[in-house]
Amino acid sequence: MEKVDCIIVGGGLAGLSAAYGLASEGLEVMVVERGDYSGAKNVTGGRLYLSPIRDIYPELWESAPFERPVTRELVTLMGDGASTTIELASDRFATAPHQSYTVLRARLDQWLADQVMEKGGMVITKNRVDEILMEGDKVIGIRAGGDDIGADVTIIAEGVLGLLSSKVGLREQPTARDHALGYKEILELPSSVIQDRWHLNEGEGAAHLFMGEVTKGMMGGGFLYTNKDSISLGIVVGMEAMRERTEKVESHTLLDAFKELPHIRPLVEGGTLVEYSAHAIPEGGIAKVPKLFGDGYLMVGDAAGLALNALLTVRGMDFAIASGFYAARAVADAKNRGDCSAAGLAQYEQSLRSSFVLKDLETAKEIPHIMENPRLFTHYPQAVSGLLEKLYTIGPHPSQKLSSTVIGGVRKDFMNARTLKELLAMRKI
Amino acid sequence: MADILVYSEKQDAALELAFKGKELGAALGMGLSAAAFGPSAADSAGALGAHGVDRVFVSEDPALEGLGVDVVAEALAQVACEAGATMVLIASTRRGKELAPRLAQKLGAGCVTDVSSLVLTDGSVVASRYAFGGNTVARENLTTESKVFAVMPKTFEIAAPVAGAGAVVQAALSLQPSAAKVVSRRPKDGDAVNLDAAERIVGVGRGFAKRDDLGLGEELAAALGAELACTKGLSDFGWLGEDRIVGLSGAKTKPDFYLAVGVSGQIQHTVGISSAKLIAAINTDKDAPIFQLADYGIVGNLYEVLPALVEKLKAL
Amino acid sequence: MDIVVSVKTNLDLQMIRIKNREPVLEAIPYKTGDLDKNAVEAALQLRDAVGESKVIVLTVAESNRKVRETIKEVLAMGADEAVLIVDPALESTDQAGVARTLAAALQKIGSYDLVLFGEGSSDDYSGQVGPRVAELLGVPQIGYARQITAGGAGVLVERSMDEYIETLEAPLPAVLTVVSEINEPRIPSLMNIMKAGKKPTEEWSLADLGLDPAAVASSCETLSNLAEEQDRKHIMLEGGAAEQAAGLVNALLKEGIVGR
Ligand SMILES: Cc1cc2nc3c(=O)[nH]c(=O)nc-3n(C[C@H](O)[C@H](O)[C@H](O)COP(=O)(O)OP(=O)(O)OC[C@H]3O[C@@H](n4cnc5c(N)ncnc54)[C@H](O)[C@@H]3O)c2cc1C
Ligand SMILES: Cc1cc2nc3c(=O)[nH]c(=O)nc-3n(C[C@H](O)[C@H](O)[C@H](O)COP(=O)(O)OP(=O)(O)OC[C@H]3O[C@@H](n4cnc5c(N)ncnc54)[C@H](O)[C@@H]3O)c2cc1C
Ligand SMILES: Nc1ncnc2c1ncn2[C@@H]1O[C@H](COP(=O)(O)O)[C@@H](O)[C@H]1O
Repeated sequence: MEKVDCIIVGGGLAGLSAAYGLASEGLEVMVVERGDYSGAKNVTGGRLYLSPIRDIYPELWESAPFERPVTRELVTLMGDGASTTIELASDRFATAPHQSYTVLRARLDQWLADQVMEKGGMVITKNRVDEILMEGDKVIGIRAGGDDIGADVTIIAEGVLGLLSSKVGLREQPTARDHALGYKEILELPSSVIQDRWHLNEGEGAAHLFMGEVTKGMMGGGFLYTNKDSISLGIVVGMEAMRERTEKVESHTLLDAFKELPHIRPLVEGGTLVEYSAHAIPEGGIAKVPKLFGDGYLMVGDAAGLALNALLTVRGMDFAIASGFYAARAVADAKNRGDCSAAGLAQYEQSLRSSFVLKDLETAKEIPHIMENPRLFTHYPQAVSGLLEKLYTIGPHPSQKLSSTVIGGVRKDFMNARTLKELLAMRKI
Repeated sequence: MADILVYSEKQDAALELAFKGKELGAALGMGLSAAAFGPSAADSAGALGAHGVDRVFVSEDPALEGLGVDVVAEALAQVACEAGATMVLIASTRRGKELAPRLAQKLGAGCVTDVSSLVLTDGSVVASRYAFGGNTVARENLTTESKVFAVMPKTFEIAAPVAGAGAVVQAALSLQPSAAKVVSRRPKDGDAVNLDAAERIVGVGRGFAKRDDLGLGEELAAALGAELACTKGLSDFGWLGEDRIVGLSGAKTKPDFYLAVGVSGQIQHTVGISSAKLIAAINTDKDAPIFQLADYGIVGNLYEVLPALVEKLKAL
Repeated sequence: MDIVVSVKTNLDLQMIRIKNREPVLEAIPYKTGDLDKNAVEAALQLRDAVGESKVIVLTVAESNRKVRETIKEVLAMGADEAVLIVDPALESTDQAGVARTLAAALQKIGSYDLVLFGEGSSDDYSGQVGPRVAELLGVPQIGYARQITAGGAGVLVERSMDEYIETLEAPLPAVLTVVSEINEPRIPSLMNIMKAGKKPTEEWSLADLGLDPAAVASSCETLSNLAEEQDRKHIMLEGGAAEQAAGLVNALLKEGIVGR
């Protein structure tokens, strides 16, 4: 069997980040990606949190093909027929260094693949890995297109469902409960229209999240990000919530319904659909993170469940890039020491533990739990909007006192044992 | 005043070029010359003369036998020089397409091949051709003094012959025989079909799993009164002749109705169907690009849809 | 036998979108010319048939980023060496400029028995480059090859013309262009792709070839480059095969295509 230093299964952000680090160290790396090019099949909502990873590969971010820095944050709680939008305008978000940017994967991943090649790494696209080769508990390489290729270390960056790695027992089979499903469209709009519709200055971007009716009350939400001359628009729904739902909602129709909402339609009007995709998101939290390394292998990115869906923020790309970085460091050190066994690679998990990757996942430990409560997606958005709707309503009858409307509403919708319990639970996140 | 020189080894194509050459010459104040080579040169000269060519340069130099591209290019360069021609129109047959650039190189000329229209714009001749594999049509203006255009056959009409022939000039050529010798020549298999003129076309592609299955396509074509055409992908298998290819390297069709069956709709194919009045497509893949060009789309298996279609058509 | 194959990198045409009739070229990945891969395959088969031969791939581009993948792919297929002519001045060249550059590179390479081209590039499909190079080198040219056999002092080429198949014999060196039916290009294995990076690769600029930018300036001015207007109905016929078939036949009746 022919052999290389390191094989990386999957050329998404996690795999490419690892490859970039390894190639920079002069190691022989082979990234195998089944897509026509890196980024071709990769899906994200659209926002990369750069702050956590700015110091990782600092030389890269200057030239990265980001779309717009997010300077305007909006969230809409959608009740039945009434919705409340909160806008956060922060001077800090509007000034550089910006904490997050909207991105398009077709561009970002391709660019990162170019950087890998620039460093002498090999990104081989249009090739699918068929199998991870094991010798006992040790990963010894891959099978692809009928060839077996060996490697001192195999980095598994195959993305969310982890089909190859679960087949050989490196992680659990994916379950509906631990995943959400995202549907997303990219609609092209002239940048001047985007700036007008979202009240942005040139070179600024908006992120707008939606909760409640948008998912018909199922666990999840909607998102809308502005790119340079397109918008990313999508819906994320818990897979289990979708399965449990009695009346059959075809999940992909949610996105169409979303676009048809009276206050969304004017935002997307005239946009040309240029991309549609559906993709899973890890949602099991830290409890579902598999063993991150073993003899001859490491797991990075979504394949290792390193993503965080925390209601208003979905994070996975920063985790992917950071885990790739730490994986590359661990492999380079292991190769130097000539020990690519589990012990030799153990440093990988330690670095993740002392970085934001596992720390943030630890902090958010209870989120998956809390999010399983459907009331979060039905009761609360409805309650908030319902209350505000009452406050703003001037009817034919004499108005109630303002205070009693508020107190009545709050008492009815928030001051009950159940809600209090839920609110208490939320402190954990 | 400079001349326009036209040449094609195919007489009909040469007459088309003569028609356009005459029109351009009149507008630009240029004379029209033509070249005719080989044993039938004299006959061609007569026809060309009757179609408005002022001077036909003929040569039966034995070096021209077999029409070796190196020799024909040299001969045309010499004729162009003798005629004082600064613009050469050649038919973009396979022979013409390999000849035009070689001639252009000899003349230091810019060249456009597979030209689909020649239009006089602000005193220059602007040539259109497909670009980006057929995604777009580029309009090109050559900035060299000498220009060579290889025009796709059947782009222009052929004028009615007029009385009064042009002058026949024996070209004084000095030629070496071609370095490449013709060993043999045999006709291509397959019956001749004229897709350019077809009103209805059923275009079949690699969605057909076996050669024998093409019977389904033939039946459908018969039921529709259509010609059968194919993608290059399918012709490369040798299942149908090359004269049935539609697209960039095949026929540019203009039917009333084109039905694409098991055709993915790659641009090199669709460039040959985009002028169809109505397009329908049958493909198992709902994301196949062919649907972007279709008026009516059926996402389905041709092995199920075709028999059903034939049945429905026969019942009419 | 020294075989040089001229290989072009073009945009992945299938990825080009049209917006307001304009092609959107931004972020479109590159691809090796389809017919150029046939030419490489033909060269490899000849090399293996003749023995003691070498296949050099030659490409011309304005940046090496553009040709990196292409060259990797054809080296991985089995070509022995690569020569890249990379110069920013080539950004705005035309087929005549590319041909001049290739001819100069071939002269610098020095020994070539066969120079293979695609019959046309996947994007321009102009078919000009091969014949122009043949003229510049003053060597015979045979276009549209569908079978190439080396023999005696030359090559025997069967080629596909509009109405007939023609067999020609030419002395070496010669320029050939190939059609797609000549072969099915091999798909390189992963390991061969890895190793491709280590094969000898030269990179020359125009100056290395003694050419100045003016020598490759384009003489072809593109006035416009727009997609043809298409106005289609985009009606999808739903249901099972029988329903869909009925739907289409009804539509054809309504459109007056059948039943007249
Ligand atoms: C709808 C949605 C919205 C999201 N929103 C955000 C957001 O706003 N911000 C954020 O940070 N994160 C977000 N995420 C999460 C983020 O996109 C992922 O965490 C991130 O893409 C993970 O990167 P990765 O490289 O691990 O996996 P991927 O990008 O999925 O890459 C895996 C790669 O492996 C390849 N592959 C798989 N199997 C094989 C095989 N057998 N052989 C060869 N190649 C193979 C795939 O083709 C793919 O390219 C979102 C996700 C979704 C789906
Ligand atoms: C320079 C150049 C010039 C070219 N010129 C031409 C040209 O003139 N004409 C031309 O056609 N091509 C041309 N090509 C080739 C072109 O790029 C494509 O390769 C070709 O058109 C593809 O043929 P296809 O659609 O039959 O095959 P494919 O692309 O393989 O498509 C087959 C389709 O069949 C569908 N299918 C499969 N099974 C079924 C089923 N059971 N029922 C229904 N559908 C099914 C599949 O979903 C697929 O979409 C050229 C290429 C180059 C590089
Ligand atoms: N930039 C280039 N570099 C190398 N070869 C080229 C280049 N452009 C064209 N060719 C070759 O010339 C053939 C015909 O190209 P074209 O004249 O553009 O149709 C291609 O199939 C290639 O073999």
